[in-house]
Amino acid sequence: MFSTLNKRLLVVWVVLSAITVAYLWIDHSADDNGAARASTAVTLSAILLALVKVRIIMREFMEVRDAPRRLCWLTDLWVALMAVGLIGMYLVGKAAA
Amino acid sequence: MWFFVLFESMIFTAYFGVYLYHRGQHETAFLAAQSHLDLGLGVLDTIALLASSWAVARSVQAARSGRYDAARRDALLTAGFGGVFAVLKVVEWVHQVHAGNTFTSQEFFQFYFFLTAIHFIHLLIGFVVIGVLVRQLSGVERRNQETVETCATYWHTVDFLWVLIFALVYVVR
Repeated sequence: MFSTLNKRLLVVWVVLSAITVAYLWIDHSADDNGAARASTAVTLSAILLALVKVRIIMREFMEVRDAPRRLCWLTDLWVALMAVGLIGMYLVGKAAA
Repeated sequence: MWFFVLFESMIFTAYFGVYLYHRGQHETAFLAAQSHLDLGLGVLDTIALLASSWAVARSVQAARSGRYDAARRDALLTAGFGGVFAVLKVVEWVHQVHAGNTFTSQEFFQFYFFLTAIHFIHLLIGFVVIGVLVRQLSGVERRNQETVETCATYWHTVDFLWVLIFALVYVVR
């Protein structure tokens, strides 16, 4: 049981690290012949991937998946509110530019 | 402890929102300043901190199953990975300051230094928390699973706040 849980934690760390490394590919894909350029698609992808990572950390490392249902709902709601807040502020800032 | 986690994430989300609003308004200037950051170093920072979170999660599992020596080792490993993150961060700050990118040089770097510094303070508090965890695990009479889990929850909060800072400061375009 203990060994299974430790393997699961290792898999979670590998997945989180792989998503982090994927940012390098996202970054290169947004380059325009080596020069950085603004990209709403990259910005939204970066924010959403980060929030997916936050949810994985909460669920797996912080053991929310085994917590009372109310905490599961509350943390999911929190992540969703963060997504709305961050993406909303970015788009409002762009629109006001 | 969960009240603290949600409160802290709310405060940081407010900082991030202000940053993203300004970024949306001055995209070109932010992009030019951001190009001074090393994304590869940011990736290393993040992987080191994720590894520390993994180690403290292992520590909780070990303590729960009564394997306190393993739990203590994992708690020390947590501090070790946290130390790697801290050293990389200081190296990056020194490099940026030498390159002329300071708190007052550009708006992007105001946000960069503010967000990374306030996170760094949380990290330093985290080292104290891990010290408490190691002390808890070292003495038979002091061992308390609830305290172990509370210490781990604090450290995970420091980790996921960095995950957001990394994406917003290093990757967002």
